[in-house]
Amino acid sequence: MAKKESGNVILAAVRGFFGAIGGFFSSFGTAVAKGDFATKLSLLWLGAGYARRRQYVKAVIMTVLEAAVIWFTFGFALNYVPKFGTLGTVEPEVVFNIETMQNEYNDFDNSFQILLFSLFSFVVWFAAVIVWMKNVMNAYELQKKAERGEHINTFREDLHSYIEEKFHITLLTLPVLGIVVFTFIPILLLIFVAFTNYDQNHMPPSTLFTWTGLSNFLSLFGGGGLTVTFGYAFVRVLGWTLVWAFFATFTTYIGGILLSVLLNSRKTRLPKLWRTLFIVTIAVPQFVSLLLVRNFFSNGGIVNTICANIGLTGFLRNIGLVSTSYIPFLSAPGWAHVMIILINIWIGVPYQMLIATGVLMNLPTDQLESARVDGARPFQVFKSITMPYLLFVTGPALVTDFVKNINNFNVIYLLTESVYTTTNQAMANSQAKEVDLLVTWLFRLTQDYYNYKMASAIGIIVFVICAVFTLIAFNSMIKGDREGTYQ
Amino acid sequence: MEKKMKLKENRTSSIVLHNLLIAVLAFIWLIPIVWLLCTSFSAYSGMNTSTFFPKEWSVAQYVKLFHPDTVAQFPQWFLNTFVIACFTCVISTMFVLMVAYATSVMRFPMRKPLMNMAVILNLFPGMLAMIAVYFTLKSFNLTNSYVGLIMVYSASSGLGYLIAKGFFDTVPRALCEAARIDGCSEARIFWQVILPMSRPIVVYTVISSFLGPWMDFVYAKMILNAGISSKYTVAIGLYKMLDKSLINSYFTQFCAGGVLVSIPISVLFVIMQRFYVEGITGGAVKG
Repeated sequence: MAKKESGNVILAAVRGFFGAIGGFFSSFGTAVAKGDFATKLSLLWLGAGYARRRQYVKAVIMTVLEAAVIWFTFGFALNYVPKFGTLGTVEPEVVFNIETMQNEYNDFDNSFQILLFSLFSFVVWFAAVIVWMKNVMNAYELQKKAERGEHINTFREDLHSYIEEKFHITLLTLPVLGIVVFTFIPILLLIFVAFTNYDQNHMPPSTLFTWTGLSNFLSLFGGGGLTVTFGYAFVRVLGWTLVWAFFATFTTYIGGILLSVLLNSRKTRLPKLWRTLFIVTIAVPQFVSLLLVRNFFSNGGIVNTICANIGLTGFLRNIGLVSTSYIPFLSAPGWAHVMIILINIWIGVPYQMLIATGVLMNLPTDQLESARVDGARPFQVFKSITMPYLLFVTGPALVTDFVKNINNFNVIYLLTESVYTTTNQAMANSQAKEVDLLVTWLFRLTQDYYNYKMASAIGIIVFVICAVFTLIAFNSMIKGDREGTYQ
Repeated sequence: MEKKMKLKENRTSSIVLHNLLIAVLAFIWLIPIVWLLCTSFSAYSGMNTSTFFPKEWSVAQYVKLFHPDTVAQFPQWFLNTFVIACFTCVISTMFVLMVAYATSVMRFPMRKPLMNMAVILNLFPGMLAMIAVYFTLKSFNLTNSYVGLIMVYSASSGLGYLIAKGFFDTVPRALCEAARIDGCSEARIFWQVILPMSRPIVVYTVISSFLGPWMDFVYAKMILNAGISSKYTVAIGLYKMLDKSLINSYFTQFCAGGVLVSIPISVLFVIMQRFYVEGITGGAVKG
């Protein structure tokens, strides 16, 4: 039942979205059909409608904008977009120029620039088309106003509207532009690169790269003959990523709730002091605390010395858990996996404690009071009132946390980079390690091995995984739209 | 009478046990932090692996930290990070408050679709767009520059508007109505009515966006990758000190630097938490 409802909500959202687009087009159609000469002329000359209604400043602005888009198209975009299909064909060559008597580079293609600037041009053109359609509609509105004999705004009044009823446009323009340029376009770019052969052998500007279709995904899933190892490493890394995300999420979640219940108990003396002590661990930046812990547990580190002194190392060697003269806390598979999850508890539980404390403070006290009057034991209160309430409030956040942990770069990278070396040849061939998450693998592939094509393909896979969990979270959030339950 | 005494004794012992448990947990949680503090006061520059506490105490490493050599240029790093953090703070505070106000107080047709898109984008971590951002910055020659780093930190910050919006939602609408009737423009309502009332959330936003660059490691590592020590931020500088070839002569300095950078960050962090709680609970009372 609940599932059906949430499905309907998403369906309604999709329908609303397409409905809005349909409405946009139909009002554009009306504007073109019913517009007078000036309105129709503004299909060609963007300023026409405004000029006809004596809004000369606006007419000039729109004309300049139109000229800018035309200049952009012919002066910039057309240098790159026609080559989008091939991503460039002219290799760089040194030729002897007779006029200057010097060796010079020819006019070669840069595949990456072609890809990036084509993409950029598409976005600009898309925006220009929207502005063009909107502009005709505006001209039609002005025409109707003039026919009804209403007052038409002067430029000063138009400007003033941007701190009045159109203030939201003033507020939102820059932030939205920032998000489009630094989140939206990069994601598009990433998707395109995954279908090319952009790697260390195809690095612009010295060499070209080109479209290769699905071959990166094939080799990632073990299809392509040459890189079977990529498929192997991918399955291993994906497996550990999911295991890690599961344990990291649940251990810190449960630990955080227990700790906050412990600290908020009436038996606790000096709760503020204790809370501050726990917060200190997360207030220290992660690059300090994690790098420190990495050395704390290093092969020749202090913990190993202590373990050797109290005989723990010898004991573990006798029962066969350790084959070296030290305990490889962060440098052997198995050990490292467990240690990473334990260290994550250390760093993650105080965070969850803070969140759970905030939620517990809003716990409806009348329910607790009546439970106590009815003679419920503390454990019963926790099980039947506190826990369901916490789950209700923080449940959807669990899924979000899971997604965040899939991408938890800091913990893995700071703890294992340059400490953990893999002995598994198949993993090493694809530059992966047993303790890598998909994102740390991706980071290494781009930063150290310039293997952008595989990194992008992995990025898309991470994207898809996150999208699936995101949808689940989104659904359960809509499902959990019963805010009245605890009010 | 005797039974009552026994009950009371029971209670006391359970309180003692309860607090003892917390104390043990706190002790475990603080071991690495204590180790950081102690080691930073060691006279030996490498890592002490034989004893928990240093054999000889001294402040020599703190002194060295302020006499930079080619590897460790702590004052320079601190300054770099400070400059980056200031710019980021101004830009992202503006973006966050602007988006939060527009979505909370203003009413316009695109409001719902924009917020839905933000929810979806928010659930995709910024980590994924990162390598593509790197490509783009590289082709504009903005890698290894602070401008690029500041842009990366602040450009998409508008997405983190939800906490501030939650606060603005609780400000009584009657106030805005009254201001509007008095002929106040929307922009003045924002500046002179809502913002002065929202001190906790403004302070929270300022501190959290200032802390971003101090706490960040990934973006700085990716963008400042040329290996010029004087251009590093604190995070990258301290990370480089622990390179295999350097760790034996710089480990104690790393600890000292870690302590020095952690103190202001911790203080700000605790203040931020207080304003966060104030913002949340203050809002609830008003609403």
